[in-house]
Amino acid sequence: MKGSLESGSRLLLLLVVSNLLLCQGVVSTPVCPNGPGNCQVSLRDLFDRAVMVSHYIHDLSSEMFNEFDKRYAQGKGFITMALNSCHTSSLPTPEDKEQAQQTHHEVLMSLILGLLRSWNDPLYHLVTEVRGMKGAPDAILSRAIEIEEENKRLLEGMEMIFGQVIPGAKETEPYPVWSGLPSLQTKDEDARYSAFYNLLHCLRRDSSKIDTYLKLLNCRIIYNNNC
Amino acid sequence: MDLWQLLLTLAVAGSSDAFSGSEDSSGNPKFTKCRSPELETFSCHWTDGANHSLQSPGSVQMFYIRRDIQEWKECPDYVSAGENSCYFNSSYTSVWTPYCIKLTSNGGIVDHKCFSVEDIVQPDPPVGLNWTLLNISLTEIHADILVKWEPPPNTDVKMGWIILEYELHYKELNETQWKMMDPLMVTSVPMYSLRLDKEYEVRVRTRQRNTEKYGKFSEVLLITFPQMNPSACEEDFQFPWFLIIIFGILGLAVTLFLLIFSKQQRIKMLILPPVPVPKIKGIDPDLLKEGKLEEVNTILAIHDNYKHEFYNDDSWVEFIELDIDDPDEKTEGSDTDRLLSNDHEKSLNIFGAKDDDSGRTSCYEPDILEADFHVSDMCDGTSEVAQPQRLKGEADISCLDQKNQNNSPSNDAAPASQQPSVILVEENKPRPLLIGGTESTHQAVHTQLSNPSSLANIDFYAQVSDITPAGNVVLSPGQKNKTGNPQCDTHPEVVTPCQANFIVDNAYFCEVDAKKYIALAPHVEAESHVEPSFNQEDIYTTTESLTTTAGRSGTAEHVPSSEIPVPDYTSIHIVQSPQGLVLNATALPLPDKEFLSSCGYVSTDQLNKIMP
Repeated sequence: MKGSLESGSRLLLLLVVSNLLLCQGVVSTPVCPNGPGNCQVSLRDLFDRAVMVSHYIHDLSSEMFNEFDKRYAQGKGFITMALNSCHTSSLPTPEDKEQAQQTHHEVLMSLILGLLRSWNDPLYHLVTEVRGMKGAPDAILSRAIEIEEENKRLLEGMEMIFGQVIPGAKETEPYPVWSGLPSLQTKDEDARYSAFYNLLHCLRRDSSKIDTYLKLLNCRIIYNNNC
Repeated sequence: MDLWQLLLTLAVAGSSDAFSGSEDSSGNPKFTKCRSPELETFSCHWTDGANHSLQSPGSVQMFYIRRDIQEWKECPDYVSAGENSCYFNSSYTSVWTPYCIKLTSNGGIVDHKCFSVEDIVQPDPPVGLNWTLLNISLTEIHADILVKWEPPPNTDVKMGWIILEYELHYKELNETQWKMMDPLMVTSVPMYSLRLDKEYEVRVRTRQRNTEKYGKFSEVLLITFPQMNPSACEEDFQFPWFLIIIFGILGLAVTLFLLIFSKQQRIKMLILPPVPVPKIKGIDPDLLKEGKLEEVNTILAIHDNYKHEFYNDDSWVEFIELDIDDPDEKTEGSDTDRLLSNDHEKSLNIFGAKDDDSGRTSCYEPDILEADFHVSDMCDGTSEVAQPQRLKGEADISCLDQKNQNNSPSNDAAPASQQPSVILVEENKPRPLLIGGTESTHQAVHTQLSNPSSLANIDFYAQVSDITPAGNVVLSPGQKNKTGNPQCDTHPEVVTPCQANFIVDNAYFCEVDAKKYIALAPHVEAESHVEPSFNQEDIYTTTESLTTTAGRSGTAEHVPSSEIPVPDYTSIHIVQSPQGLVLNATALPLPDKEFLSSCGYVSTDQLNKIMP
C-alpha cells in the first residue's frame, strides 16, 4: 500500500513536472523535427530570404559585368565567352525548363550549394585583385565586396533550407575548384583584363542559374507550383 | 576546340560589337535581333539587305553553334518566326549556354553574333487588360479603379521559371504624353482619383526581372465611366476661411465687451489697466481746475511731508538763509515748521535772541497758531517763501531781516524779485498770490525804502502768523530793522516795544509806527493802495481781498473791516509787490487799545482811522 502510494505519488509528480516542461516547450518553441535550434525561422521565410539574396547577387553581378565591359572591354573584342568556359561548367545543371522540372529538388539544392561553395574562393580573390587593379572604379570594387558577402549569406541560408527540406542529408558533394588565379595575376594587362572579363561573365551566369533554381524550388515547395 | 578557335577568329575579325546591328554599306543581310520570349525558345531575325534582288531566294543561311555541340548547324526553322528569321524551339534552346550564329549569303559570311539565351529574354506583352470600379467619391467627381491583366501566356510564371516585372502606362484620352507607374511584380494595380468626366487609356508591358529590355506594350485599354448625373457641385472643398475669420472676430469682440463691462474689476485691471492721471494724494483735480484754492491748501496743509519737501527745495529759503546771520536759524528748519510746531518757546527765543540783531520778532501767538494755522508763517528771515505751486497756502511773509534792511537796495530788490508769491490760505478761498505781479510796486517800495533808513529793512516777507476763523490772515512782522523794528510779536512775552522805526516791509507795525510811516509815507502807487504805505515792499491783503484782487496788479481795495479782535491780525489788502502784500483793514475787530498795545499790527481800517 505504502509502496504503491509512494510510487503513485512519484509518478504523479513526474507527470506534473513533465507536463510543465512539455507545456513550456510547446509554448516557447515550435515543434521541429530537427530540434529546437533550427525551427526559429519557417521554411517559407527562409525561401523568401534566399530568393531575395540570390536576386540581389544576380543584380550586382550584372551591374559589375556591365561596368567592367564598359570600362575595360570595349573595343578589345573580349568575346571570350565562346572560348573560355566557367569553372562550374562541370556541374550537371539543368539547361532548360523541362530539365529543371524533371530535376528533383534535392538535386537542385545540392547543385545550388555546389555552385555557391565553388564561388567562395574566386570571389575572395576577385576582391583582392580588383583592389590591386590600378584605377579600379569603386563601382566594381564595392560590388565585388558586396557579392562576396552576400554569397556567404546565401550559402548559410541554403544550408538551412537544405537541412529542413531534406533532413539528415549529407552535404558532402564535391564542388568545382577554381584555378583561374594565375590568369588574374598575370602581368600581361590584356590577358589579365580578359581573365577578369571571363570571371565576371561566369559570375553573372552562375548567379542567374542560382536565382532561377531557387525561384523554381520556391514555387514548387512553398507554393506548390502556383506562384 | 578548333572550331571554336575559328569562330573566335571570325568573331574577332568581325565587328566587335556583336549586337550593334550597324548598317552594312554593302547591303548584305544582317542580324537585327535575337529574342527569347519565355526563356524556353528563341528566334533570330535578320534583314534582307539592299541587294535582295540580286540574291537568289534561299541563299541566305544562318548557322549556329553551341559550345556543347561544337559544330555549325543550320537554322532548324526558318518559318515559324516569320521571314528572315530563325526559330529555335525548346529542344534547341539551352539556357546559360553560349550560342553563336552566323549568316551567310551565297556561302559568304555576312554576319555573326554570339549570345546567351538568358540575356535575350524579352517577354510578350501581357494580356487580358481590364479594369473594375472600386469606389466613387461622395462628390461623384472622382473614382478609384483597379486595373488587372494577365502575364503573357507563354511565360511559365506559375512554376517560377521566369519572374516578370510589369510597368503600367496611363494617360487621359486627349493627352499625348504617357505617364508611367513604378514597376510591379503583381498583375493588378489600383488607380485612384480618376475623374469621372474624363476618359483614360492604359497599357502595360513586362520584362524579366534583372534584365533591361521590356517587351512590347499590350493593347491600349480605354477607360470610360458611365455618365453620372452632371450636377454642378463644387469641385474642391474649400476650407471655410471666411467663416472662421468672422467667427473669430465675433468671439474676440464678445470677449472684449464682457471684459470691459464686467464687474470683475480685477480682470479689468489686468487687461485694461487704468492710466494713472496726475494727482496729488487726497486732492481732487477738479478742485484745482475750479480754482478752489482754499480746499486744496487745506488738504495740502495736512500733509506735513509736503512742507518739508517744499522747504528743502525752496529757493526762497535759500536766499533768505543767506541773509541770515544766525546759523542757528538755518538749522532750525523751516519757519513754517517752527510756527506750526509747539516749539514756540524755541522760535520765540530765537526771535527774541535775534531781537538785538535782526529785530526779528515772532509774529504770532502760539494759541492761534495751533488753533487753525494753515499757513506757515515765519517771522524768521529765513522763512520760506510760498511759491505758486505751494498750494498749502503758506504765506511766506517774513519779517524783514535787518540785514536785508541794511543791504543795499539792490539786494533788497533782488530778493524782492525773487520772492515767490505769497499764498494766503483762507478757509474758503485759497488762492495763490503772486507777488511777482508787484514789480511796479517793488520799484516804488524800493524807493520808499531807501528813504527811511529805519524803514529800509526791506524784508519783503511778512509772515502770516495765523488765520483767523473769519478768514483773515494774521501777519507777523518779518525781519526787522536793526534800527528797531517794532516787535511784531504779539506774544506777550516777546512783545517788544514798538519802536519808532517800523518795518516798512512788514505789514505789522505799531500804530505809532504806522502813523509815522504814514506821515512819512511817500507816494504810494494808487495801484498798490498802500494807505499804510508800509507796504512798499510787502503788500498784504486780506484773504477776502485776495480773492478779488488776486491777479490784479495792484488793485487795491479797501476792505472795511471791523476791529480786529487780535491786534496782530491784519488783513491783507492787496498783493502787489513781489515783496509782500498790502495790508488792508482786517475784518477782524480789534479794539484800538489792544491794537495799539500790540504795537505791531495795524488794521487797515485802523489805519484809515489813523490816516486823515
